[in-house]
Amino acid sequence: MLFPLVRLEGATVGYPGAPVLANVDLALDGGELIGIFGPNGSGKSTLLKTLARILPPLAGRARFSLPDGRAPSIGYVPQRETLDLVFPLTAAEIVEMGTYGRLPLGRQAGHAERERALACLEKIGAADLRRRLFPALSGGQKQRVLIARALVAEPDLLLLDEPLNGVDASTAEAILVLLERLNREQRTTIVLVTHHLTAVRHVIREAVWIHAGSLLRGPAATMLAPEAVHQRIEEDFLS
Amino acid sequence: MSVLMEILSPDFLLRNALYGGLIIGFVAPLVGVYLVGRRMVFLGVALPQVSTAGVAGAFFWHALFHRGGLHEQDFWLALAGATGFTLAAILGLALWESRGRGRAEGWTGVLYAFAGALSLLLVASDRIAEIGILGLLKGEIIAIPTSQLVTLIVGYGVIVIALWLFKKDLLLVSVDRDFALSLGKNVLGWDLVLYLIVGATISLGVLLVGPLVMFGFLIVPPLIAGRLVTGIRRLPFVASLFGGLTAFVGFAVSYKLDWPMGPTDVALVCVLLALVAAAQTAIGRLKRI
Repeated sequence: MLFPLVRLEGATVGYPGAPVLANVDLALDGGELIGIFGPNGSGKSTLLKTLARILPPLAGRARFSLPDGRAPSIGYVPQRETLDLVFPLTAAEIVEMGTYGRLPLGRQAGHAERERALACLEKIGAADLRRRLFPALSGGQKQRVLIARALVAEPDLLLLDEPLNGVDASTAEAILVLLERLNREQRTTIVLVTHHLTAVRHVIREAVWIHAGSLLRGPAATMLAPEAVHQRIEEDFLS
Repeated sequence: MSVLMEILSPDFLLRNALYGGLIIGFVAPLVGVYLVGRRMVFLGVALPQVSTAGVAGAFFWHALFHRGGLHEQDFWLALAGATGFTLAAILGLALWESRGRGRAEGWTGVLYAFAGALSLLLVASDRIAEIGILGLLKGEIIAIPTSQLVTLIVGYGVIVIALWLFKKDLLLVSVDRDFALSLGKNVLGWDLVLYLIVGATISLGVLLVGPLVMFGFLIVPPLIAGRLVTGIRRLPFVASLFGGLTAFVGFAVSYKLDWPMGPTDVALVCVLLALVAAAQTAIGRLKRI
């Protein structure tokens, strides 16, 4: 059964003094698997950050709720280049941070949290990285660790910003298989921002295209059909 | 050995200076870990200087309204000046950055220069205060009254407890602000908590050991520990251990050679950093052969 998990109503998304998208209406139902597309600078990542509660809307409303009235837990996977660490954190310690949202004030992560972090690393096939320093990992390895960190928060809504950038084809395939499985087996709502249209075309069910400041939404098969994509890219380029 | 026996004796005349240095040596690196990890090292240089300007401001105020020499109760006036100046500076810079105006590195530099000049100008007309400030700047730690030592123990005790209680939240907002927000954390609130801890650590420490020692213990031990450990769990403990050991050895060396304690501590901890870096480079080269 579908239920609205996140609803943006007439929302202006962006940064204080620098709105990026205006009057956005977007509803995400439970169990959806959606891709957000659009040209560089169109506001894909900004929209994702609003869905992740990182950037509150500058105007309009953002509602987050589960059927029982609780706010959904969110797993956010940033573009890995944004995480430029000086702290000598291991992969396991990065993943453990996903448990911090549920720990009460003053309680530190203990054995149970470490076990959960390890289980998530295993789930994503990265258990062997747990003792390695995060800054020393390759791009694909970092991506896996950041996805594991989001998963350990047991999210109702998983939001990924360019998860396939800079990863090899087999890692990209493994990531997409994992996302599809999470969505199918655990009914996790998944939204990913990506430029890799071909790779995700057969995985996502719906697509949102940011086109000339507006959101176009439809079934992935229609929205990502090559001729439709070419036409929008051409119009975006000319505009 | 005889020096060690002497300074470890309970009747040792300068024992309060030893205890004060040790407490600051152990605790300051725990706070400095966050300054290094958040790339705020320059702030670690500027804030102790600002704190010293606060002490000078308090001396100036005292000279204006309470003619006569300084008394022990004026410690509180100096502490208020140091804390007020430090918190105003750190909150001002945080506000600048939170408004999306980029890193306030330029302003931090200006602050450092201005605070240094102000520290000297404010006490230029008061010979006693001038000697006090110059002593702080040189890091000459000879006599710490017991009441000030107790204040340091209580203040730094509260700081250590706060760092332990809030460890995961302070780490989370320092490592990945966006992720912290997505977990529903109040990032600005936790930043404020960290700034208050940094401000309190610096103002209390500067008053007793001066800006040079404070900067040395805030920044250098975390840099050494960062080279030696893998994982954030052990980093603060190793940094604290290096800070405490340096404070102890530095005190013994300065006592034996009759050098000022502050510069001895800072030189020692910097030599340690250089030795660790050189050893790692040598080991790396040997492994490649």
